[in-house]
Amino acid sequence: MSSFAKFLLRRLLAVPLTLFIITLVLYAGVMLTPPEARVSLYMPPNLSARLTEAQIANLQEQYIQRYHLRDSFAAQYGLWMGSLLSGSWGFSPALEEDVLPALLRRTPVTLELAFYSLLLFIPLGLVSGALAGWRKNSAGDGLLRSLAFLATSVPPFIISIILLVVFYINLRWFLPERISDSLRFSLEAEEYRAFTGFLTFDSLLNGRWDVFVNALQHLAMPVFTLSLAHWATLARITRVSVAGERRKDYVLAAQARGVRKTGLLWRHTFPNTLAPSLTSILLSAASIMTGVFVVEIIFGFNGVSDLITRSMRGIPDAPAALGFSIYASALTLLLTLLLDILLALTDPRVREEISQ
Amino acid sequence: MTSLRRFLVRPQNLLALGLVSLFIFTALAAPLISPDDPQSPGIFRRVGRSSERTPQPPSPGLPLGTLPGQIDVFHALVWGARQALTFGLTVTLSAGILGSLWGLIAGLTGGWVHNALMRIADAFLAFPVIAGVAFLNQMLLSALIANGADYFSPTQGFIVEASGPPSPLQLLLSKVEPLTLTLILFSWMPYARLMSAQALRLKQAEFMQAARALGADGLRLLRSHLLPNAISPALVLAARDVGAALILQSTFQFIGLGGGAPWAAILAQGRNWIIGPRGALLAYWWVFLPATLAIALFGIGWNLLGDGLNDLLDPYTAQEP
Repeated sequence: MSSFAKFLLRRLLAVPLTLFIITLVLYAGVMLTPPEARVSLYMPPNLSARLTEAQIANLQEQYIQRYHLRDSFAAQYGLWMGSLLSGSWGFSPALEEDVLPALLRRTPVTLELAFYSLLLFIPLGLVSGALAGWRKNSAGDGLLRSLAFLATSVPPFIISIILLVVFYINLRWFLPERISDSLRFSLEAEEYRAFTGFLTFDSLLNGRWDVFVNALQHLAMPVFTLSLAHWATLARITRVSVAGERRKDYVLAAQARGVRKTGLLWRHTFPNTLAPSLTSILLSAASIMTGVFVVEIIFGFNGVSDLITRSMRGIPDAPAALGFSIYASALTLLLTLLLDILLALTDPRVREEISQ
Repeated sequence: MTSLRRFLVRPQNLLALGLVSLFIFTALAAPLISPDDPQSPGIFRRVGRSSERTPQPPSPGLPLGTLPGQIDVFHALVWGARQALTFGLTVTLSAGILGSLWGLIAGLTGGWVHNALMRIADAFLAFPVIAGVAFLNQMLLSALIANGADYFSPTQGFIVEASGPPSPLQLLLSKVEPLTLTLILFSWMPYARLMSAQALRLKQAEFMQAARALGADGLRLLRSHLLPNAISPALVLAARDVGAALILQSTFQFIGLGGGAPWAAILAQGRNWIIGPRGALLAYWWVFLPATLAIALFGIGWNLLGDGLNDLLDPYTAQEP
């Protein structure tokens, strides 16, 4: 088997394995609660409207029996996993909706934010970091280092407040929420078809420039907030490795041969310094999901995080909490996997490191 | 000695020490700087009628003015330092000890135990913190209600309104802030990775083999040879984590998914007043600036301290000009 196929197989197998460990730990958390609370994972929707309390208690007991909720951890976990895999993630009492469809419906909103953030911070971080590292201790390097330091020290939620005050309240350039109210209706019109769920893609496919521009105006602030800290981390790491690589003999040799600066940096040095930057990108991709949810709440994007905050309004809601946890970690894993494969395609050393 | 001198010569290290000691001093001396008012105890001291919504500007006796509802900003800021420090140190120490032990066990045993332990650490890394906050909040809520609590709020912990004294389980759960627990559960992995790598490397080092050949037993090897050599990168990480933990806590407090972060609570209470009338930027600056600066400087201070420790403890990077 070629080393790439081996790598691909290993990475693909790691996803279900990690999910297995995560669900084990999660269900161990669920075991903290009594069977009467656990049974909410299986209860059919809208009972309180139709049945009396005694009838509900009776039904609960039946479900406890049917799903062996008083038996061992292994038995309960197996049954729960079975229903999870068959797509019934339970009915959330707080959201008054089935958990899985509710999550899936909001997914494109979250993915669109994550997508544009990755698209913005990866090239910016690599290029600015490499340039600064190439001319270490120059004025530009100093500027980058102070900017990067500020970006990692000031919490994103404070940056979002400042952005909102300056660019929304005062300048009206960018807007919170996902799309302006005046355009929301045109999305529900018959001739508008949702192909991907990404507003920016769908609007172009439908030939609606006004929606496209509007969507970008709404995306600007959250994407900037989300990219900033990750840009800083990536730029710092790239800077250090490029600065270290520059002093190596082969770079000096190429310089002595008369290779011009652009070729020297981008063709000779930069590709050899990628490994630490790629690791940093992967770790960022994992943590960007947390940031996506936070940014969604602050900027009023009605994505998945809107669901999860609504499900936390005081009534116990195990199906929503569990569903969100599994959903969020699966999404993170897929994002990391995707980047992992992309990176391995570009750098053979990453493949070898991981398949060892 | 020379490395310590080099540490003290750099201005950014002095700034780090200055900031961190300022926060420690404020935390320790809070009762002297802003004495508690027996009329209105607690961090959020009320100094006027709560129905009065307009924040009042600074005046003698109220150096940083008030929040809507006439809460003394200065008092909350000073006492907030105590909570911020307690929280940051609790999370960092617990996560650091848990993760280091995890990594040491993994690194020293090796083989499949190592693989299994590190897989679990990777699984935790793939799990978004915000899902952890939501999940633990829900589980604690269910557990508390099942044990007879009447009411639970993510910002105030659980409240038993009637029905006699709380049960031991309730007491235990009420002592644990869901957010503290979550952040500990989600910040130990880097320590585990670091320590397992260190242990794997040092296990084979010549000085370890020499000590083993001289008859040192396992515990002695661990305590006098492995730990002192392996611990320094963990210390660097820990210093940075104190600030990072506070920033995460503040973020969750601000978006309403957690509690116990007074500085972020100042911002959350004043959020409608951050923007002044007719969009005037910072017309009510005392609502926004002091708390923002406190959070940012706390992060910067510990972050810089971590950078400084890194240079101090790692002779290889310190050689670099």
